Amino acid sequence: MKTLEIIDLHVTVEGKEILKGVNLVVNTGEIHAIMGPNGTGKSTLSQTIMGHPAYEITQGKIILDGQDLAEMSVDERARAGLFLAMQYPAEIQGITNFEFMRSAVNARRADDDQVNLMDFIKELDEKREFLSMSNEMANRYLNEGFSGGEKKRNEILQMMMIHPNIAILDEIDSGLDIDALKVVSKGVNSMRSDDFATLMITHYQRLLDYIVPDFVHVMMGGKVVKTGGPELAKRLEGEGYRALRDELGLDIALTDEDADLMV
Amino acid sequence: MIKYAEKADQALELPVFDKVRYDHWGLDEIQPGQGQSDQTYYAQGEEVGLEVVGQSATYLYLTNEMKKAGVLVMPIKDAKLRYPEMVDLVQGKVATADQDRLTAANELDHTTGIFVYIPSKIKVEPKIHLYLNHLVEAGDLSARVLVYMGANSSAEVLLETHTVGETASKATIVVEVMAESQSKLTFANFDDLSARTNAFINRQAVVKNQAKVDWINAAFSDGNIVSQVSSRLIGEGAASAVKVAAFTNQKQVQGFNTEVQNIGRHTIGHIYQRGVILNSSSLVFNGRGTIIKGAKGSDAQQESRVLMLSERGRGEANPLLLIDESDVTAGHAASVGQVDEQQLYYLMSRGLPEHVARRLVVRGFVGEVLAKLPDVDLQNRVIAAIERKLAYENRSL
Repeated sequence: MKTLEIIDLHVTVEGKEILKGVNLVVNTGEIHAIMGPNGTGKSTLSQTIMGHPAYEITQGKIILDGQDLAEMSVDERARAGLFLAMQYPAEIQGITNFEFMRSAVNARRADDDQVNLMDFIKELDEKREFLSMSNEMANRYLNEGFSGGEKKRNEILQMMMIHPNIAILDEIDSGLDIDALKVVSKGVNSMRSDDFATLMITHYQRLLDYIVPDFVHVMMGGKVVKTGGPELAKRLEGEGYRALRDELGLDIALTDEDADLMV
Repeated sequence: MIKYAEKADQALELPVFDKVRYDHWGLDEIQPGQGQSDQTYYAQGEEVGLEVVGQSATYLYLTNEMKKAGVLVMPIKDAKLRYPEMVDLVQGKVATADQDRLTAANELDHTTGIFVYIPSKIKVEPKIHLYLNHLVEAGDLSARVLVYMGANSSAEVLLETHTVGETASKATIVVEVMAESQSKLTFANFDDLSARTNAFINRQAVVKNQAKVDWINAAFSDGNIVSQVSSRLIGEGAASAVKVAAFTNQKQVQGFNTEVQNIGRHTIGHIYQRGVILNSSSLVFNGRGTIIKGAKGSDAQQESRVLMLSERGRGEANPLLLIDESDVTAGHAASVGQVDEQQLYYLMSRGLPEHVARRLVVRGFVGEVLAKLPDVDLQNRVIAAIERKLAYENRSL
């Protein structure tokens, strides 16, 4: 079992404090969802876990299996089992999807034990078909000219090829139509096992109909303010974030007052 | 022609490469060698093509079909003896001897080279792989490569230029392509001259009605180079796409003039350049698209980008569009920048160590050009050449 522990995490971006004491524990075998209004630090949390250089930890820490992530580079974190499906994946011209994924898989293997080409092609083909992705996507340049939906599927495809232990999915549902959402959810659900945990970040309860979480955390004002089961998401869907904020007596301005009116 | 060149030789100016000073490289004092060899260095097995080492042809293979169709591939000196009237269709007609001192001198003093003749209506299937090896021990290189594409013909030519030996040397190489109506040619080159070779490389094409000449210029020489690619689209509907990938490292200087002239109506000229700068080298891309008055319905596009991997290097991308006709489309983009941090982060977030991620980003930067090289083995050698150059990279950025 792997465990990701986030302890009293404070993070600043360009001098502004975004996370103000986040506490969270994710074990493999568990599915977590983080919900919250816009501007509350959900994406900051995911980028900080992965190690984006723009996010500075000013207090607290993140521990993966007893090791402090602050001492690990981005690629070391990835090889230790973390994965971040990004909201805005980079586009890289000149590198094919195929070449990139093979490099990513090989980065986890010893130099004298690189992945067998035929095995890799077979696995890639199976997973690509599972996600209803076209054959030509493998030879297209990495994310270049991909539609929003194609990028999301490609993130999930990478996750399935890399087999991480803890995958953070940052708004994997945004911009997806219902068919694409089902495909992406199918991909995530296929990963469910005792060796795999997901931390899904989403605005919308809809995703949680397809990927049913064990835990739902609500973030507001840079902190996790409430944790519950799937019923918490349903309640938010009905009542909005403002009702929860007022019930908890929090003094937090919701940056986007529309956020709690979502349907 | 020779006489004219003789006269013109000293009177003409050196070719102009904006922002590149190279008059001290001695390129107008070439002492061409007459080296002979019986060794094949690069050509493999049954591949279609010709390897020239010094003045000797050490490898030649054409399929029977090609021979029967009248396709000629041979050293230029043989062609001049056996097929002078065919040589005359190209030589001096594309890279004319009046344009600059180095082209004129090359016309006069070239001692080696290659002649390729594709008769009308002949579509050559296998690519024609040419190797031109400079035997530096024997002297400087002055070489001329001529390609004649008959009407309605098509072919793919790949020219590799290598240095054999360690001596300091100079080289001028002039490539002339005459593309008759409706012919299609892809001309790819891989330049691999040594660090101790200063060179002038001039590649020019005349492109007639509905013909197409695409250039892929993979400039991986280690020495100081001024290099020019130019397509004159004289026929209606003629087209040319020029792709350039260049790496400079150590103290190397490379200057590129890449030019398409839209002269006929409905002509299409696209320039795409990618350069990577390492150490304290410098690289200059001068892109020039010219649309003359009357070239209605023509299109001139260019994109030149330079990636700086070192703060000590110097890079420039100078786009120029000269348009004298209103009924046209044209555009240009140019940039000089560093490795994209978001791309690096993304690759590293998938577990790639930083040096691997950087290599991928750099290779991807020139990947669009590499992918067009018509030989997988060569693509792999280019990737190896990139790795070798990156091994010198200053990591303390």
